[in-house]
Amino acid sequence: MGIRTTVVGSYPKPPEEGGQFVLRKTIHALDRGEADADDLRRAQDELVREVIAEQEAAGIDVVTDGQVRWDDIVTPFARRMAGFEIGGLLRFFDNNVYYRRPICTGPVEWRGPMSVDDWKAASEAASVPVKAVLPGPVTFAHLSIDEHYGDHETFTLALAEVLAQEAFELQAAGCATVQFDEPALLGAPEDLDLAKRAYGILTRDLEGAASIVATYFGSAKRLGRGLFDLPVDGFGLDLVAGAENEELLPELPSTMRLQAGIVDARNTKLEDTDELARRIASLAATVGEERLSVSPSCGLEFLPREKARAKLGRLVEAARKVEGR
Amino acid sequence: MSVPELQGPGLWTTSVGSLPKPDYILEARKRRARGEIDGDELRALERKATREWIEFQNSLPTDVVVDGEIYRGDMVAFFAEELPGLEIGGLVRSYGNRYYRKPIAVGPVGRDHAVTVEWWEYAQSLTDRPVKGMLTGPYTICDWSFNEHYATRRDLVLDLAKVIRDEALDLERAGAKFIQIDEPAASTRMDELDLVIEAMQIVTEPLSAHTITHICYGDFHNAYPKMLEIPVDQIDLEFANSDYSLLEAFAEHPFTKYIGLGVVDVHHHAVEPVEEIAAGIRRTLEHIPPERVFVDPDCGLKTRKVDEAKGKLANIRAAVDLVKAEL
Repeated sequence: MGIRTTVVGSYPKPPEEGGQFVLRKTIHALDRGEADADDLRRAQDELVREVIAEQEAAGIDVVTDGQVRWDDIVTPFARRMAGFEIGGLLRFFDNNVYYRRPICTGPVEWRGPMSVDDWKAASEAASVPVKAVLPGPVTFAHLSIDEHYGDHETFTLALAEVLAQEAFELQAAGCATVQFDEPALLGAPEDLDLAKRAYGILTRDLEGAASIVATYFGSAKRLGRGLFDLPVDGFGLDLVAGAENEELLPELPSTMRLQAGIVDARNTKLEDTDELARRIASLAATVGEERLSVSPSCGLEFLPREKARAKLGRLVEAARKVEGR
Repeated sequence: MSVPELQGPGLWTTSVGSLPKPDYILEARKRRARGEIDGDELRALERKATREWIEFQNSLPTDVVVDGEIYRGDMVAFFAEELPGLEIGGLVRSYGNRYYRKPIAVGPVGRDHAVTVEWWEYAQSLTDRPVKGMLTGPYTICDWSFNEHYATRRDLVLDLAKVIRDEALDLERAGAKFIQIDEPAASTRMDELDLVIEAMQIVTEPLSAHTITHICYGDFHNAYPKMLEIPVDQIDLEFANSDYSLLEAFAEHPFTKYIGLGVVDVHHHAVEPVEEIAAGIRRTLEHIPPERVFVDPDCGLKTRKVDEAKGKLANIRAAVDLVKAEL
């Protein structure tokens, strides 16, 4: 059993230099009324196959569909569940990337699968396991405007119920790992107890699939070891933007998995493979190889395509060096 | 504080910076990228489009004119193309279906020639009203670039600050009375607001022009009132996009500078009605006196169609005239 490699979620949509950017052209054509929903679906399907093949070729063990159908982690779900309208643009954490803010105007309700068909399509395209990614309820609430519940806890727990149903459907479809993205939790230590309750709801009926809470863009220091009280199977930590997350690792309960983000997914400077290998060996010594996955620090969409691919290549190379030692 | 040299009781109109590129420019840029036309041909068309936008602003009239940045790909890439130490990188997404080439700092950043002065001089030659000198701030250039050279973000920001200061001084020597140093990224990280302030101090310290910074799409409510420490005369902010929610913060901590008041949403196709814009201006005047208010769109208008942008600017003019008549 070697050290597993995975990704956090998103993958660059643009092609490498000189390639045809079919998805962008198709969306432009759609905006002008010169393409339809089927054209868009075909362009997205094609790009999903391409980014999965690229992750597999790099040697990644557990891949995602690159979220190439999404603009961000919340609006695809806000558009498909009941209770939301879509509002104005806001910066996505500390990135030069913007998302449209969901506005909750009525009770949030699960109306049907929101991501299951996409996961199935990705799974069919892949020869390795495909991880499903859902927005975590705490982050979902923080990225939205609540005009209906008037109470952050009630809103968050209502979102947890909807997302729990979605996670259950993903599990029923055969998905073995569901990752919940919680970057906003890092800045909201006051929500830790609420998060525990929300994840109690989310994992209530998840018996077949592993649940991972992924944090990124920063340090979990303000949460401390309390983060590990969430009733899930593992955690993703960003060891680039939050180097001090390393100090938390000895506290990780022995039953839990670690997804360690060690390659900077927000800067083009390529990591040295030997340094990465030393880092991985040190992580393996702390938490044990069998509990460790290594990944980029966050979604790869912040990088140009060729840099993302080069970084995955180095991650895998470093992990194999450690296995072969 | 540098008081603007303008006539009248305030409520002056202006623009944030960029204006839409007409179709013939979009087409010419593509042809230039394919090597079908040369730089001089593209430049001649860019001068034509710039002249058309100045003529439009003269016709309204707009009180403080912009050159429209027709010749800039985007506000950071333009400087990255011109400054040694920065390179244009690969395509990354900014939102929705919009992408940009994100620059990379690959070596020490410097400046071997003035990069905006010639365009400013050309624009100023076409109007009797003042034309703003338009620069991108050091913090934003750093924040919107990859860094493969500098050990820390601060090192990169402070080197960029010296470069932008030198460019601002060149604009001032050329005659610019208004110099805008955009820092849309300033509201990104509260723990780096001090760095934004330190860098802006380097840029504006030797200037006597009326200095402005534009900040957008961020966490204003945390950045305010601290952002008032940014050493500029005027801060330009978006109000339409957030339904004037910042005014509540002004009620608690008075806004002490000149304000650039963004009154139309730059991401909506629809042109806001005059009365809606006027209502926003009236609400603002409850907090800031008219002699401290410049009225403009929320942000650069380059993402809108030419006609949409003209409609929005014309309605801003009409709304300002309506409110001024009530003063």
